[in-house]
This record gives sequence, C-alpha cells and structure tokens, in this order.
Amino acid sequence: MQRRRPLRLLGALPLLLALAGCAAPWGLRRQPSPPLGLGQESRQDPALSGDGRLLASVVERGGRSTVLLQERRSGSTVPLRHLRGRQPHSSPSLSWNGRYLALLVQQGPQRLAVVEDRATGQLHPLPLPGGREPERLSLAPDASQLALQLVEAGQTRVELYDLRGLLEPDLPPGQPLSGPAPAGVALGGAALRHLGGWR
Amino acid sequence: MKRPAALNLLRRVGLISGLAGALALAGCGGGLRPLIGLNLQLARGGEVRAPSLAGPWLALIRSREGRGRVELIALDRNAPVPLPGLNRPDAQPLSVAVDQRGEHLAVVRQLEGRTELVLYRRSLQALQPIALQPAGVPRQVQLSADGRVLAVELSRDGRWQVDLLELP
Repeated sequence: MQRRRPLRLLGALPLLLALAGCAAPWGLRRQPSPPLGLGQESRQDPALSGDGRLLASVVERGGRSTVLLQERRSGSTVPLRHLRGRQPHSSPSLSWNGRYLALLVQQGPQRLAVVEDRATGQLHPLPLPGGREPERLSLAPDASQLALQLVEAGQTRVELYDLRGLLEPDLPPGQPLSGPAPAGVALGGAALRHLGGWR
Repeated sequence: MKRPAALNLLRRVGLISGLAGALALAGCGGGLRPLIGLNLQLARGGEVRAPSLAGPWLALIRSREGRGRVELIALDRNAPVPLPGLNRPDAQPLSVAVDQRGEHLAVVRQLEGRTELVLYRRSLQALQPIALQPAGVPRQVQLSADGRVLAVELSRDGRWQVDLLELP
C-alpha cells in the first residue's frame, strides 16, 4: 500500500501544476515576447500608449539605436516620419491613443526632446531653457505635461513642463475636455482632418 | 547700517533679474513652459529621477544619502501621498511606473542582492512580486495609463528584451 502513494502523488502533479499556473499574482497574463513577427533582436526602453494598444521600443538598426513603433498584439510596425537621421533615439513615451510620440534624439552635439504628432505629421522640438540636456522623459497620457530628467551641477533632477499651449490633448475615447481650454487647445482643425489616417 | 540696506537692495535686484531671466528663458523654450512651483518643490530634498507621469500623478525615485524611495506626487495638490508597505530601507528602487488612477505602481528594485519586479496596489496597500518567465533580470518598467499592461525591459540570455504582461 505504501508503494502506491508516490504514484498517486505523481498522478496529481499535472493538476497541481495547472492550479499553480492559475494562481499567478492577481491573474497576470503573459503575452509572448517579443511580439509576433519581431524575432529575437535586442530591445530596450519600452513604452506603451495609454490604452496599451501601441508599443514603442528602441532596437538596433544599422548599428544605431532606433525607436520602433508597433501594434502590441500583432507586432506590425507603424511608420514614423521625422526620426531618421536623428539617432541614437532613447526614452520614448506615448500619449493615450498614441497620437504623440515623445523621445530623445540627437541634434548635432546635443540630446534634444522632440514630440512627433502622428495626426498632423509635425515634429515639435523641445529645447530646454539654458541649453541643458535631458536624460529621460515621460509624456503625460493626455499630452498636457512633460517630465524631463536632467543633470544639473552634478545632480540628477526632474522638471515638469506644460505643453497645453503646444499640443492638442489626446484623451481616451468619449472623455470630454474638462474646464476651459488654454489658448491654442481645441479638438478639431488639422487633427480632425487626419484622424482617419493615424489610428 | 548702510551696508545691510545696500545688500538687501542688491539681493532684491538679483532676485528680480533672476526671475526675469527665468521668464525670458521660459519664453525661448519653444513651447516648453516650466511648472515653476512644482519644479521648486521637486528640487528640494535630494536627487530625483525616473519620472512617470499619468493623469494627476507623478511617480519618481528620490535619493537621500544613498537611499532611494519611490514617491507618488498628486499634481493637483502638489503633495506626495503615502505609500504604506512599498518602500523598505534595505531596498533600492531602479524604475517606477504609475497608472492614470494612481492605483497600480510597478517598481523594479534591488533587494538582498536580487533585482525584482513588484506591483503595488495602493487601495489594498499590497505588494506583489512578479516572477519573470523565463527568468531574467529586470531593469526598467512601464505601465499603460489604463493600468492593464506592463512592459518590462530585462536582461535575458545576454540580450536586452521586453516582456509584456497583462493585468486583469
């Protein structure tokens, strides 16, 4: 009788393993990585759009760090217009629907924060006052603010900047503009004409 | 007696010219307008790095005397909010990300010689380690603003890779 116990335990092992798999923390589900169609190349600096639909990351292209924008589920590449020749790219950050991609690029000897507006096709360079250079950035999902990490007098610091006079908001679908919009902020115009093309 | 008065005058002139300079620089910033009050507060109390903006929240890592702490700042009140159970004196955070509701914070941290990824739920004040499969060493984490997807940069098999994890 005692010999049968190990066999019973072995029989229960698949069930135990299955239960353990279901007990992942707070029901986490893992998406195969890398996304479909991307191979096993080195990939850094991931950033997700606010709705999680798009993934930006930095990969090596021709020996240069280059940002790649993709549909997260399919892995299909989304074209970017203005970033070629401005490598190395780093620290991408996306707005809620992925209309705006903010990142750091190289301009001459300096690192420069820029925002590509995929709706209008514009590139917005964002030079820091005083000629300082950013190290990392984070774009607010609605594109109202930008946080920049920089080094000044040997100390790493973070500064916040208001972008509402520069960029139209990129809000979740159905969310109205709240409060009076600052000058230059309104949904419509060029952005609405391009809506069909960039999503 | 005259010297302190002259010094005060000089200080005032210096302050005014500094403010004018800052305003002029802000005007030349190509659309970047600094949030001066917030920036002054961020500059106090040690180095800050690894910013993550989402809605009314700014998450970052503040270092004092070699120790790092995750901070969550409510931008509408310009004040940090408590994160009970997240920071430990023996842990060194490397990267943090917050969602739009300020409910989830994902953190990469070094603890007891290991580098781990943890997810903090603010409403529950609960911290959950997240195992990476296959195993890898995380370096950086990003969270979608809707709080549903995590993107983790990690070292695995001698390469930098990105893992994507969906939250319920």
